[in-house]
Amino acid sequence: MKYIPTIGIECHVQLSTKTKLFSEVDNDARGKEPNSCVSPVCYALPGMLPRLNGKAIRYAIRAGKAMNCEINASSRFDRKHYFYPDSPKGYQITQFYHPIIGAGYVELPSGTRVRIHHAHLEGDAGKLTHFDTYSLVDLNRVDTPLIEIVSEPDIHSAKDAHDYCKELWRLMRYAGVTYGDLYNGNMRFDINTSLAPEGADALGTRTEVKNLNSFRSVERAVEYEIKRQTKLLEAGEKVLQQTLGWNDAAGVTTGQRSKEEAKDYRYMPEPDLPPIRLSAEFIAEELADFPLMPNDYRERFGGTIAADVLEVLLDYPELMCKLGEIDEANVVLVSNLFSSVLLAEEKSAEYLNDLPSAADLNQLAEMNARKELSSTATKEVFMKLFDPQMKGRGTEQIAKELGLIQENDLSALAAIVDVVLAKPETKKAQDDFRAGEEKVIGFLVGQVMKESHGKANPSAVQEILRKKLS
Amino acid sequence: MEVNCETIKHLASLSDFAISEEQTETLTKNLQDIIKYISELDSLDTEGVEPTYQVFEMENVWRDDEILPQDASREELLAMTKEEKDNQIKVPKVL
Repeated sequence: MKYIPTIGIECHVQLSTKTKLFSEVDNDARGKEPNSCVSPVCYALPGMLPRLNGKAIRYAIRAGKAMNCEINASSRFDRKHYFYPDSPKGYQITQFYHPIIGAGYVELPSGTRVRIHHAHLEGDAGKLTHFDTYSLVDLNRVDTPLIEIVSEPDIHSAKDAHDYCKELWRLMRYAGVTYGDLYNGNMRFDINTSLAPEGADALGTRTEVKNLNSFRSVERAVEYEIKRQTKLLEAGEKVLQQTLGWNDAAGVTTGQRSKEEAKDYRYMPEPDLPPIRLSAEFIAEELADFPLMPNDYRERFGGTIAADVLEVLLDYPELMCKLGEIDEANVVLVSNLFSSVLLAEEKSAEYLNDLPSAADLNQLAEMNARKELSSTATKEVFMKLFDPQMKGRGTEQIAKELGLIQENDLSALAAIVDVVLAKPETKKAQDDFRAGEEKVIGFLVGQVMKESHGKANPSAVQEILRKKLS
Repeated sequence: MEVNCETIKHLASLSDFAISEEQTETLTKNLQDIIKYISELDSLDTEGVEPTYQVFEMENVWRDDEILPQDASREELLAMTKEEKDNQIKVPKVL
């Protein structure tokens, strides 16, 4: 029997606000000491009241727009109770009944549409480190604003699961709501996978693999679960509804928590936070400067830039934004410089925030088109546009200073060719060429290039040589 | 809603409270009384009435996204915990 996999994904996105969701304390704990980014609210000291960060509301509006979602006019917070040392409150403040972001969809590069059920705001929990006989608690992450994005079960392959997560990562970075640093857990994915016989109406029993933090591990975990569940079903056994962990090194899912006891979170409205009511005007104002999204760029550049190059560049919103400012005739050259020169640089990440001006890049492409710069020289000048010592001088000035501008003036070139042909040491080569030895032309072109100090355009030189020697 | 000893034991285990049989019985009785008292509200017809989530009729109470000094330092906060180690809060092993 053939089984069809059905996958739904929950994604937690850490928002890059300056302060936490419920208190005015530093939200960026990267590289900071444990428990140094905490407030009495994070500690849940008696009587502490949460103070809602307005920026998180604005980011939620932007995140929702990126996923073509309805922004709900009215939303509010609830308490989700659980007992665990990563949460001093004893509950998580989340939006269970009335989330801020309603239904929408994400379109994958393949064209597959994954519907979004909803997305809501909530506070993150602390971090536990386990030792032999005890555990240590770091509350730096407590109340970091999260958006939890819940997809519909519209995904049916490991590849689409991978692509969906990657597209979400791009959308959230284009919308400017997260650093998107996967290594540091800025985005975490939970995948729900079930199998059902082809044509069946009902979905099978699902498992949930929690806390994946790379697209590759999402893809592998889905592949593994599909295989594991297929094997069970084919052997006539049952899939247990389970929460699983992913062991990346071993490439297997492992039982994490037994579900003998159904969860009982005892949700209740959060009495300390008044509801959020968003007017159409407020939403429109927040979205007035909403940037182009990956699909806008695909539409715009799909016919110009090769699809594989475009998909690589789309990982970098800064590069796409810059490409958007480049004259259409120069887009292909500049996109190639971005993908094959800039991204190959070891320090490319540092360059992204300080890209050359569109005017400089346009000029570079035009000089290349006029053959004033060879392709090697174009690349050299391009990298100099990032050089703190050089940039600011402008493309043409840099090319001149480096002596990279090619001599295309035919009469000037002809004069250099004459000088070379008058030299006794080229006499034999000239005779050989006239006698039909085609390959000595390379030697003669080389001599002219040397005479011009490398500035001559080699193909023009060859043309002149051939004329003069015929 | 029916409250019995099992309900109390379940709630206690969710919150990781250790309670004796005697306490269980007292708490069950107390909670039953409270719910009975509150249940008088059931006599009202609330058909078509929006649930009340909060009574102050406030909305959109937000603050700016600016870091402000907090009332307690890291050291003061850590000092309030039962046990600390390496600037972290030490708790019995949980998994």
